[in-house]
Amino acid sequence: MKMLILAVSCLLAITGSLAADTCYNDVALDCGITSNSLALPRCNAVYGEYGSHGNVATELQAYAKLHLERSYDYLLSAAYFNNYQTNRAGFSKLFKKLSDEAWSKTIDIIKHVTKRGDKMNFDQHSTMKTERKNYTAENHELEALAKALDTQKELAERAFYIHREATRNSQHLHDPEIAQYLEEEFIEDHAEKIRTLAGHTSDLKKFITANNGHDLSLALYVFDEYLQKTV
Amino acid sequence: MNSILLVFAGILAVCLPASATQCNVNPVQIPKDWITMHRSCRNSMRQQIQMEVGASLQYLAMGAHFSKDVVNRPGFAQLFFDAASEEREHAMKLIEYLLMRGELTNDVSSLLQVRPPTRSSWKGGVEALEHALSMESDVTKSIRNVIKACEDDSEFNDYHLVDYLTGDFLEEQYKGQRDLAGKASTLKKLMDRHEALGEFIFDKKLLGIDV
Ligand SMILES: [Fe+2]
Repeated sequence: MKMLILAVSCLLAITGSLAADTCYNDVALDCGITSNSLALPRCNAVYGEYGSHGNVATELQAYAKLHLERSYDYLLSAAYFNNYQTNRAGFSKLFKKLSDEAWSKTIDIIKHVTKRGDKMNFDQHSTMKTERKNYTAENHELEALAKALDTQKELAERAFYIHREATRNSQHLHDPEIAQYLEEEFIEDHAEKIRTLAGHTSDLKKFITANNGHDLSLALYVFDEYLQKTV
Repeated sequence: MNSILLVFAGILAVCLPASATQCNVNPVQIPKDWITMHRSCRNSMRQQIQMEVGASLQYLAMGAHFSKDVVNRPGFAQLFFDAASEEREHAMKLIEYLLMRGELTNDVSSLLQVRPPTRSSWKGGVEALEHALSMESDVTKSIRNVIKACEDDSEFNDYHLVDYLTGDFLEEQYKGQRDLAGKASTLKKLMDRHEALGEFIFDKKLLGIDV
């Protein structure tokens, strides 16, 4: 009798593919055998086809890595603007905030990777093509804002890319949970940040071109004070 | 023609990072005799910053490991994610100190690198706590070496930095090490004859849940 149950559950295990009581069958199978180990290979958090098709799972890991790297890049810019020569406390504060946010997003994405039953690989690269050289922190004010704007767009466009991969019209690739996670935690916020930074560059542009450039040194001082109060 | 201009502008941008353009203010000169930090001390501080960053990444990997569904130790995960953020803050504190002393006006970009952590899995909570403890011992040793480098300079004993590292950083190291050692001992005793249950209960304790 026991043998029969075993055979049946084995059969079930082989035929049942999508979430059809697979953990339950593992339990039935492994608990019937007297031994000190339980394998229960399908009693995990993986569902849908997360990690088995397409690149959404690996892209999410790469997205955590990207946030980690940008977080430390921003930290260097925050440091540079706080040296005694640059002495722009507002610009420093802006970059410190970007760094803090990227850092906490790093931890959040790592948690989400494990929420979906996966493990984090800190060496995971994205398949999305990017052209990015080493980060330079020694930038003047407008250069630094430009770099921040480009970086925020990089993060936003990567989110679009993962979202596109997760919403492709295929039963193997469609993952609404990842799509909704990106929408909820990233996508709206990106638009906000990009708009703010673009607005900053517009302001600086006006300061540079107006009054034959004579306003610039005072304008940068005032703008830094403004950042100190508003960031 | 346009592309030639673009290339030219690119070359300009690369070659003249700090000097004046129409977009920035001319650098100014002010006295420098208040900038007193010496080279070997400065370099060992820079290395220490990299070490704190490295520790932050290793703790992130620990947090990731204990978050996995098959490991399921949210208390340990939280402990290590918090430790990762603390290491990042240590790096920032050291950077702040260098800035106060007139440093980091150049060579900022080369200050730190983000490399993948060397280890990504642990047998259990005890092994991770013991690994964390030995990591902290290495950090402590390294801070002591920074102190030596900043104190032994025959031309300039950097009393203030030595005092800061001794009072703030070593203090935190010794407290942190004692905390990890205590946790490892309690967990080991708890797991003596109740391996699975002991680790489960300790994990919930870390989360602040009494079971
Ligand atoms: Fe530290």
